[in-house]
Order: sequence, then structure tokens, then C-alpha cells
Amino acid sequence: MTAKYCRGANASGMRQIIALSIAASLIILVADRSLAADNGRGAQLATVCVSCHRLDGSDKGIPSIIGLDEEKFARVMEAFKSDERSSQIMHAVALSLSDEEITILAQYLAAQRKETKRR
Amino acid sequence: MTCWTRRKFGCFAGVTCLASLSSPVVGSQARARVVVIGGGAGGATVAKYLAASAGTLDVTLVEPKKQYTTCFFSNLYLAGLRSFESLTHDYETLTQRYGINVIRDSAAAIDPVAKIVRLEGGTKLSYDRIVVAPGIAFKYGAIEGYDEAATQTIPHAWNAGPQTKLLREQLESMEDGGVFLLVAPPDPFRCPPGPYERASLVAYYFKQYKPRAKILILDAKDSFFEQDLFQDGWNRHYPGMIEWLPGQFTGGIKAVDVKGRLVKTASEMFKATVANIIPPQMAGELARQAGLADESGWCPVDPVTFESKLQLGIHVVGDATSAGDMPKSAFAANSQAKVCAFAIVAALTGSARLAPHLFNTCFTFLAPDDAVSDAISFKPTAGAPKISDIFISKVGENAETRRKAAREAGAWYAAFTHDIFG
Repeated sequence: MTAKYCRGANASGMRQIIALSIAASLIILVADRSLAADNGRGAQLATVCVSCHRLDGSDKGIPSIIGLDEEKFARVMEAFKSDERSSQIMHAVALSLSDEEITILAQYLAAQRKETKRR
Repeated sequence: MTCWTRRKFGCFAGVTCLASLSSPVVGSQARARVVVIGGGAGGATVAKYLAASAGTLDVTLVEPKKQYTTCFFSNLYLAGLRSFESLTHDYETLTQRYGINVIRDSAAAIDPVAKIVRLEGGTKLSYDRIVVAPGIAFKYGAIEGYDEAATQTIPHAWNAGPQTKLLREQLESMEDGGVFLLVAPPDPFRCPPGPYERASLVAYYFKQYKPRAKILILDAKDSFFEQDLFQDGWNRHYPGMIEWLPGQFTGGIKAVDVKGRLVKTASEMFKATVANIIPPQMAGELARQAGLADESGWCPVDPVTFESKLQLGIHVVGDATSAGDMPKSAFAANSQAKVCAFAIVAALTGSARLAPHLFNTCFTFLAPDDAVSDAISFKPTAGAPKISDIFISKVGENAETRRKAAREAGAWYAAFTHDIFG
């Protein structure tokens, strides 16, 4: 059965509610994008990072990685890969990622940064 | 004037509506349904990433408990270094933010042909894919006299919750000079460094409040993970307090007199003031009942999809799996869960799937400011995840390195539990 909402006098009020609802939804969607709102390659690879790094900008001791630009991220990952920069966890993670995957991840995280800044 | 019907306007009430509209829809069909059984580190992560990465899926998480207490970091609670509340998480965010339907119930049976799971409460859920994450069960009876009823006197405290609180209470009320006897299980078991971290942190507690107390570990094994790190830490922090007896010495743990707190090995009887028996383990009951476990008691899975090798269409993640070289840890479960979620999303929506990246990291405390860690990557090889690279802390590292690891561990817990539940 289809219930009807046809109270004419309330139609404009309803539109306002819809508009507010959509606005609220947009805010929540933007917030959610810091996690994995899509399943593209960057988002999939970033799920490796979020086991230790939060992607919403919160930094409670493990450095935030959304503040890094693409080039810097790639340089840091290369330093972890060669063990020039010491961290056994990041050494293992960097070694497991191909150069192409690091590039994709760098682009994804940089985009996340921009999105976070817009908020 | 516009007339909205409930059918047209069906998603008005939910803010997840726009996510659904803005995401690709699979033809004009109804949303594909995925049911996840078990809300621990594996199950909750699968549910979250299924919902977060494909707005077109209808995700249901079945978990009997309203709140989940993490086994990882519960040794810190036993030592009085963390509150019980700090280890406790709920499923509100998964419901509110990701639109996951969380049902407080347990799965009773899976019909893999009809693709229906029946819950203990009588509800029947149909699914397109199902993920089973039941964790571990204990082999009661493997040690004579140690059954489920015995856990109320001698806790295992290897599923966090009331058991953990019971053990803490017993440790607090133990007199100085008493013996804390810990029975460590045979491989494979949940959290390989866990029993020995427990001994370390209980020793830390004793050192402050009951300095004449002793800790005796009766092991089913002849060696254990990170043994050199632990024994070095015990010598430095708690000299003379912890004694470890390997299986070759004890001949195995045979029986328990629960009332008398007596533990019998093949050669001797040991009297405990407080005892903690961590029994031999196997996959959770549902996995065994659904035909997902082999003769080893664990569930063999494909390392790329985490689909059961015994029951196609059913995925298994976490401690219940027999996943090659991957240990039974929350980190491994979380890592498997993400790989599994993207494999399911790819199968149901046709999205691209990457080569899986599987990892494990464990932070382990020898003392509050002395932590060690391991970092392992795995690659699917010959049908199972095999170690690709492994790095473990070393004996002789400087104190600052260990302090830094301890600080990182606390930060990791916050980020990791946010990744699962937040």
C-alpha cells in the first residue's frame, strides 16, 4: 500500500525539510569521504594505512598522513622502503607497495587533504 | 503542488539516502544483501567496509553483545594500567554513520543452498553473500576437569569481558607471596605473544603491590613467539619472579582440580593461589557447525577473497581461519576483513579488485614503558597467505626505542579501534 503525503499547505515546508536534509547529507558525505566512500584503487590501498593512521586529520601520536603532498609522500615511502628512515612497520608496508601503488596512494591522500581543507 | 508518495519518497528519513542515490546502482535490481556474523575485529571491519565502499549494498551485522571489549590491550587492564571502559566499544557508529543493520542475536544455522541464515531468536535472513567471523572456541575437556563451569573459578580470560574482570579481581585479592599459575595453550591460538605479555604485565603489577609473588607458566609448547624478547625483558624487569616450564619439561598439562586450584602435568602437581588456564582452541562453533572447518578445527580460505575452501559463497575472516602464515590477531583479522570486503564488493557490483595487501602488526608490552613490535606482510602463494617480509624488535634495543614503541602502541589502539568501530 502506498501512503500519501498530499497536505498542500505543507508542501513548501516539506521542500525546506528536503533541502535541509540534503544539506545535512552532503556534510555527512564529505565527512565520510575521509574513510572509504568509494572503492577505487586509492581508496582500497588507503585502507591499509587506516589500521594505524586516522584519515580524518586526527593525530594522537601516529602522524597524520593527509597533510603530505604527493611528492613528499612518495619520498617518505621510498625512505621507508630503503630503511633510510627507520620504522619496521613502515618498512614492511613500503616494501609491499609497488611504485605505481605508492603513486596512486599519494594522489588519493592528497585529494583527501584538499577535501578536508574545504570543510 | 507536489504529492510525495512514501514509495517515491522512501529514503527521506535516512541521511544515507543521498549516498545511495549518488552511488552506482546495480541495474534496477534490489540492493544485494550481505550478512556478517560476528562483531569482533574481523566481522565489524568487513561490515563497515562493505557499507562504506559500496552504497548499493544492504549490510546486516549479527552480534549478540551490545558492546564489544577488545581482547587486545586487556592485559593492560589486568595490570591496572587501563580502564575496562577504555577497551569497550559499541556499534552505534556502524549503524548511524554507515547504515549497517545491527541485529543483537546469534546465528543458529546457515542454509548455503537457500542462502538463508537462521538466528537463535527465530529471525531468518536471506543473503547474496555471507561472512562468518565467529572467532575462537575452547576445547573444553582437553584438560581434564576444565570445562565451561570451571571458568567461573579459574578464568581463561581469553575472550575479553566478564572473564577478564574475574581474573583482575582474583589478582587484586591474592596475598603477597602467592603463586599465579598461567597455563599457555598449544599452537595455533589467538594472539601468539598474548600469554607471555600477560605474565609480563601481571609481574609489573606484582612488583608494585605483591613483590614476593611468583608467576609460573606451564606451557604446552617447547618455545613461543618472541621468546628471546620476553626472557630478556623478564630478566631485566622482574628478575626471579617468572618461571616458564616448557612442554618437554612438563610432559603436557593433563588435569585440573578446580576447587583446590591444582594443575596436574604428566610428571607433577602444581598448586596455584590464582590460576589462569588458556585452553587449546578451535574455530567458533558456527564455523564448525556450518561445515567451514576441516579436521584441524580451523577454516581454510582462499587468500584473495577469504571465501571458504569448503563451502563456496561463504566467506570467513579472523581467528577462525586457517590462513597460511597469518597469526590469529585482531590486526590480521582487520586486514583480512578489508580484502574480503573489497572482493565481495567486486563480485556483487563488478568493481575493480586489487591484489590483496595483507599485514600483521602486534605491539607487545614487557613493561608499561618497554614495548616491542612485529611487522609482517603476506602474499598469496600456492593458495594461502605466506610471509613476504617480517621484522621483529631485537634484544638490546635502547630504552628510548622501547618507550617510543609503547607510546605508539597507545596511539595505534585509538586509531585501530576507530578503523573498526568508528
